[in-house]
Amino acid sequence: MSLIEYDVIIIGAGLAGLTAGSSLARQGFRVAIVTTGEPTACLSTGCVDLCSGLASPLENIRQLSSYHPFHFIDPELIRQTLNNFSEAVKEMGIPYVGSPDENRRILTALGTFKTTCLVPVTMQASANNVQEKIHIVTFRGLKDFYPSYIISRLKNASFSVYDAGVSTTMGIAANFEQEDFLEAFICWLGNIEISENKIAFPAVLGSESAAEISKKIEHQLGRPVFEIPTIPPSMPGRRLFNRLKNYFRKNKGFIYWNWPVVGVEKSGKLIEAVVTSSVGRPNSLNAKAFILASGSFVGGGLVATRDTILEKVFNLPVHIPGRREFWFEQNYFSVNHNIEKAGIEVDSSFRPVNCLWENVFVCGGILANTEILKNGCGNGLALCTGEAAAISCAEYLR
Amino acid sequence: MNYEHCIRCTICVENCPVFRANPEFPGPKQAGPDAQRFRSDRDKSTDSWVLLCSQCKRCEMACPCGVEPAQIILKAQQRFGREHTHSPAHLLFANNYYLSALGSYTAPLANRIAASKIGKKIFNTLGIATHIPFPRFCFRTLRQEKKSLSSSNKKVAFFYGCFINFYRPDIGRKIIKILNTFNVDVVLPPQWCCGLPALGNGNLFLARAFAQKNAASLVNYIDAGYDIVYSCTSCGLCLQNDYSGILEIPQAKKISESTYNFHEYLLRLIADEYIKPRFGELRRKIAYHIPCHLRALKIGYPAAKLLDKITGLEYQILDDSCCGLSGSYGFKKSNENTSVQLGRRAVSFIRKTGASSIVADCGSCRMQLSGISGLQSFDPVELICESLENNSGP
Repeated sequence: MSLIEYDVIIIGAGLAGLTAGSSLARQGFRVAIVTTGEPTACLSTGCVDLCSGLASPLENIRQLSSYHPFHFIDPELIRQTLNNFSEAVKEMGIPYVGSPDENRRILTALGTFKTTCLVPVTMQASANNVQEKIHIVTFRGLKDFYPSYIISRLKNASFSVYDAGVSTTMGIAANFEQEDFLEAFICWLGNIEISENKIAFPAVLGSESAAEISKKIEHQLGRPVFEIPTIPPSMPGRRLFNRLKNYFRKNKGFIYWNWPVVGVEKSGKLIEAVVTSSVGRPNSLNAKAFILASGSFVGGGLVATRDTILEKVFNLPVHIPGRREFWFEQNYFSVNHNIEKAGIEVDSSFRPVNCLWENVFVCGGILANTEILKNGCGNGLALCTGEAAAISCAEYLR
Repeated sequence: MNYEHCIRCTICVENCPVFRANPEFPGPKQAGPDAQRFRSDRDKSTDSWVLLCSQCKRCEMACPCGVEPAQIILKAQQRFGREHTHSPAHLLFANNYYLSALGSYTAPLANRIAASKIGKKIFNTLGIATHIPFPRFCFRTLRQEKKSLSSSNKKVAFFYGCFINFYRPDIGRKIIKILNTFNVDVVLPPQWCCGLPALGNGNLFLARAFAQKNAASLVNYIDAGYDIVYSCTSCGLCLQNDYSGILEIPQAKKISESTYNFHEYLLRLIADEYIKPRFGELRRKIAYHIPCHLRALKIGYPAAKLLDKITGLEYQILDDSCCGLSGSYGFKKSNENTSVQLGRRAVSFIRKTGASSIVADCGSCRMQLSGISGLQSFDPVELICESLENNSGP
């Protein structure tokens, strides 16, 4: 037995877990999140993809395979969830723009365009076609961001290089938080001749206050500026994680770090507690209900062995897309790898199917048949299924 | 060591406070799992930058794959320490325990020298930083407290740690007083430095010697039915993790089973309905800075659960930034710049909360944050004690 009882314990502190957690905590439930480490959201672009394709995301969802978990969610709830999200991040100081009725395209570091739905305000002005006239500013020594890639596709683009004194994403972003650095930078920028309409930067404009910093640059230079997402470390992903985490805390949610679940205590059809590894006495936390939001393979929620796929927290049955030889396509860059369908199948209440537990709910990347890469639905899926699982969980608790 | 599980996602790098402040440090991914592939037992170690790691363990708490970069680096630090001569600062801080004992014994003199200009000069020559004042030694250490025994069936052996013993015995007395009021017997078992400072300064041999002595002493008390209670979160982490891990202490599991954080212990007494404390009102707005090592202990933030029970107390938890001092780390001249930068950052978050004072479980966090901000800082024990007193006993 542990010391403290919660109403709900959520396993995983990613977008799904934090969304479910904030939603329940706002209703007055006592909520704790336990997490092994930080989520893959930190590695993401920070954009919320809902369902890619040219039409409106809500329209696109109807075309998805009938197994896709989006079909368990009322479109109005999806709209509501994204609204809640936008309000939460605005409250926390990183406003987002966009709506579920319309997808948008943003420029990537390779000069291609990514289809997404909601974006941080620092990407609002992003170039969305190859004709746009943009000037890219990069930083000396910054790895994995090469303007020439972009210019090879956008013929009307040019670039210049600033020496920030440091060369890492984190280091440059931290410098931008300092006023003298920002002023010196704007001064330098004002002195170079830029004929293009917009100015682009890799996403390093501050570790926390990118919205204010980009607005300041915009104001001084009299033209729109925007950030281009980088490969990890990705500042927009980290900003998003930090703010959602603080929002959860603000609503009286509690987070246990460094807390990998290695076992459970159960009785009848109920899970009673989760247990973490410890050298000494057992370290466990009990609750009335549990939400599994531990992510997919990278997040650690699913573990693939040579011939099977496991879920190691509750040992839930995993939907496995056939024998191993069917998991992957020959073409590495294909978006149709069957392994993307692996995960936990749920019913419309987001309880796992074919298992005993009445008080376990599942959401986020660990769900089966999501095909996140193919459908372009990563962070949006996390938000919406997180909210839906929280609603079912709240009904169960009442 | 599971460095092969690293998927190179860089989440650890994003969480590394030192990497943020000091470009010389390649970050936990490179210093840990990446470099591990190239560390050969046949060659003398050349990776002096491992010494720049402050062992805050934030990389371990962030890693989604359980790689533990800080452990890999800690081992590399011990190896580097074994194969190279130590700087005076490293030597002095590894022997912090003996140094502090001497300081306390000669407290009036030692404090005056430490605060004087010439003392600072000596410190700087030895490679010791003076950006914040050196903590003041106390002449009457906690060790000299008399034992207070009753016939209670709850018995605690208090592992007070060097900070409380040499610098803030008053906090130790408060802990004893609270436990006594709740009808818990407290004894002070024979004890030495937990070993963490020696470990942090690359002196595995010395650390193990301390740990062995402590383990032998503590186990005696556990066998006699005592629970071990610690207050310093870094001592706690060392007892709980390093004794069973890198220090390879045979009694580690037994110690770990019976060892509690002070606040965790109080919560347990409340849960067992052994005590029913009534907390008095405290009208105050504080910033609760969470020490990195408390976070790493996997017990949540037990003091916060107690502070929750105090009416009128408004607090905000801040666990995103390391204070930068990390025990003796920031007191080394070579780390001063890093330490000050990190301290200022942590202070800027504290200021944003509008709090009038700082609360932190760790003595060195408080030294750094108070030193840089000029704000008063408290151990949660001090608030709890005050609140209980406001209500005239339990």
